[in-house]
Amino acid sequence: MAKHPVMFEIDWNACIKCGACVAVCPLEAGFISAFDTIAVDKPCDVVCLACEKVCPVTAIRHSDA
Amino acid sequence: MSRSSDYDLVVIGSGPAGATTARYAAENGLRVLLVDKKQELGAPIQCSGAVSAHALSDVEVMPESEFVLTPIYGFIVYDEAGNPVYLDYRELKPDVYADAPLGYVVDRRRFDRALLSMAEDSGVESWLKTEALGVDRISPDLLEVRLRRLGQEVSVRTRILAGADGVQSQVGKWFGLATHIKLSELASCLQYVVDGVETEGLLEIMTGHAIAPGGYAWIFPKQNKHAEVGLGVIRTMTDDDAHAYLEKLIKDSFLSDRLKDLRVLEIQGGGVPLAAPLKQQYSDNMLLVGDAARHVNPITGGGIHTALRCGAIAGRFIADVIRGGNTPDEQCMSAYQQRWSEELGESMWRLYRRKREIFRQRDIDRRNQMLFETLSHYFSPESEYRKI
Repeated sequence: MAKHPVMFEIDWNACIKCGACVAVCPLEAGFISAFDTIAVDKPCDVVCLACEKVCPVTAIRHSDA
Repeated sequence: MSRSSDYDLVVIGSGPAGATTARYAAENGLRVLLVDKKQELGAPIQCSGAVSAHALSDVEVMPESEFVLTPIYGFIVYDEAGNPVYLDYRELKPDVYADAPLGYVVDRRRFDRALLSMAEDSGVESWLKTEALGVDRISPDLLEVRLRRLGQEVSVRTRILAGADGVQSQVGKWFGLATHIKLSELASCLQYVVDGVETEGLLEIMTGHAIAPGGYAWIFPKQNKHAEVGLGVIRTMTDDDAHAYLEKLIKDSFLSDRLKDLRVLEIQGGGVPLAAPLKQQYSDNMLLVGDAARHVNPITGGGIHTALRCGAIAGRFIADVIRGGNTPDEQCMSAYQQRWSEELGESMWRLYRRKREIFRQRDIDRRNQMLFETLSHYFSPESEYRKI
């Protein structure tokens, strides 16, 4: 069953700009924000949520795109 | 009708791997451009900064006071209950280490800047605030790299591209390499730089599933009685994040009494690959170095030494290719990984297999024991991995 695409939202106050979310992201190059996090301006249709899990400070949340 | 190359080598990312690759290539006569998207190298810090003395001497870097925060003389490895194994090289090998440190904790901002400075002294041109946007192949011997430098889009032509763009590497993805790292192999790390914690010139490592599932916790000394208190966890092994484990270490562990007066001065984090090196670290006109190629010790998570060594291998290799007049196609570039395997890679693969054996053990007590024994042995003078 296909998953519903999601949009990620980042709590910039909690984010420590560590890049772990981008490192674990299975999407091809470019799903990245200007602050070295995963993208927050385009939907993700993989929805593995590895980025949310790996975040040391749990700064990433998602909602339906 | 293609324009000839502007550079022999363009390096993306000026961390220890990139700056060292660039330095060795330039020392061997190449025209090298080194770019980094940051305005200040090393920041935000994603690393504890521990590096062995031989890691620096291997690549001809002096332990300058400009970046050395404190000398290190050995280790303490704790089991989950807090029982320590002392590996103080001042006592184990006083003839060598009574005066000479085993290693250092460096300030990564200053260290990375010093490595850049050395590269520049060797003739490397460097551009900060320069982000790599993409790459196009002009001919079998020429790439065009699209960059954005302080807001302006520019292109440069190079014969070889080195991706030293870290654990979140985009360069490898451009070339279709399998760079994706699994959640089960990326340690989610958080550390506080603190004062109010006494240390004694030793790197302290705390093991145990209850302390840091899939990884370990650490207390490393810094200058002026500062210290780093941190840990890395594997999130497929726990529902709690690194922050929760770090708070637990401070407030509710065998270290709590010692950490009770701690004051937090900085908060840092990162993703550390506790993974196998990339199976393929090269492509036509391209190679990867450092974290981008997952040149990280899968047992300790240490990546500075492996980055420096690999940078030296890559820089010299690229110089041989260009000066030999070879076309840097995939076949030619594969010899890079061959050299790296012989010098470092085989040991890293052995460490990875040991790490996998530990964390595949389902019995938690047995796993804790295996990790404690492996790390205690790893840091001992008898370890066969002393040079990794």
